[in-house]
Amino acid sequence: MASEKELSDFLKSVEKRAFKRTVYAVRDDDAALDIVQDSMIRLAEKYFDRPPAELPLLFQRIMSNATMDWFRRQKVRNAVVRNFSDFDSSEEDGEFDILETLEVLDDSRASESAADSVSRAQILLAIDAEVAQLPARQREAFVLRYWEELDVAETAAAMGCSEGSVKTHCSRAVHALAKALQAKGIGL
Amino acid sequence: MNNSNILSHLTGREALEARVAHRIAARLTERAEQLPSDVSERLRFAREQALERARTARAATADATVPLTAGTSAVFGRRSGWWLGLASALPPLALAAGLVLIQYWHDQAQIATAAEIDADLLSDDLPPNAYSDAGFVEFLKTPRE
Repeated sequence: MASEKELSDFLKSVEKRAFKRTVYAVRDDDAALDIVQDSMIRLAEKYFDRPPAELPLLFQRIMSNATMDWFRRQKVRNAVVRNFSDFDSSEEDGEFDILETLEVLDDSRASESAADSVSRAQILLAIDAEVAQLPARQREAFVLRYWEELDVAETAAAMGCSEGSVKTHCSRAVHALAKALQAKGIGL
Repeated sequence: MNNSNILSHLTGREALEARVAHRIAARLTERAEQLPSDVSERLRFAREQALERARTARAATADATVPLTAGTSAVFGRRSGWWLGLASALPPLALAAGLVLIQYWHDQAQIATAAEIDADLLSDDLPPNAYSDAGFVEFLKTPRE
């Protein structure tokens, strides 16, 4: 059973990512905050007796369900349809090379100038915007797999799809992001 | 291209994708850390609300696991179930025993009354056969002057 501190630490560690994830989906800060709060309460009330290791996956499922509930309540049928219309295979990777987006990253920010800080903030904003523009299933797979650091099986369970679909969604998402960032001249 | 080359190519491609993905995820984390203070405050409030609910749920569960027989447990110890069964069977048993005793006492009283009447009859000067005589019965019914 997760102790109060373990539950608190877990919620603290996921709350910001959960908020951002929900904002990507519902595109409304207040709604996202409500969904995150509901999800936290639901997790705390119903699953406080579960081992700490089970909390991440449970929370992801609760978050997904709460987000879907929000869409149902809003009756934004078109939005839901758009979210699930992830069959656009218009990606023409042709001569695009994902390796080109990888540049040597200098993490030493101690010597960062004001101009660098602004530039960095703009890059973060651009990445944020590109992630928000991904098709919902691709974004969900990417965020769960690489941001929440679930493995493929856990991501598949949280999304209710096969592991193969997760890999496909992730791959498409990474390529789409790399391509979009490269087009903007943003290197990673 | 043989199978091993294909596999190594795919593995390399997946590794490259994972590398790019993790770098993007790191930027997302960096961006998420820069949330406005009002959002951070609301998230903190939400977390505290959730922890409060967990506390309440924990307390409710703890209460539910303490059975209603807690009082009897304190008195009878661990074998409270056995004692509780015995205690609940006691009132009907006492009632049944009481009814049997009342019936017994009633029978005994009737026997004693009959014995007393018989004794009186037998010890009286008048022979019992006299009561079967119609004339004597008529004599008894006649009011005395």
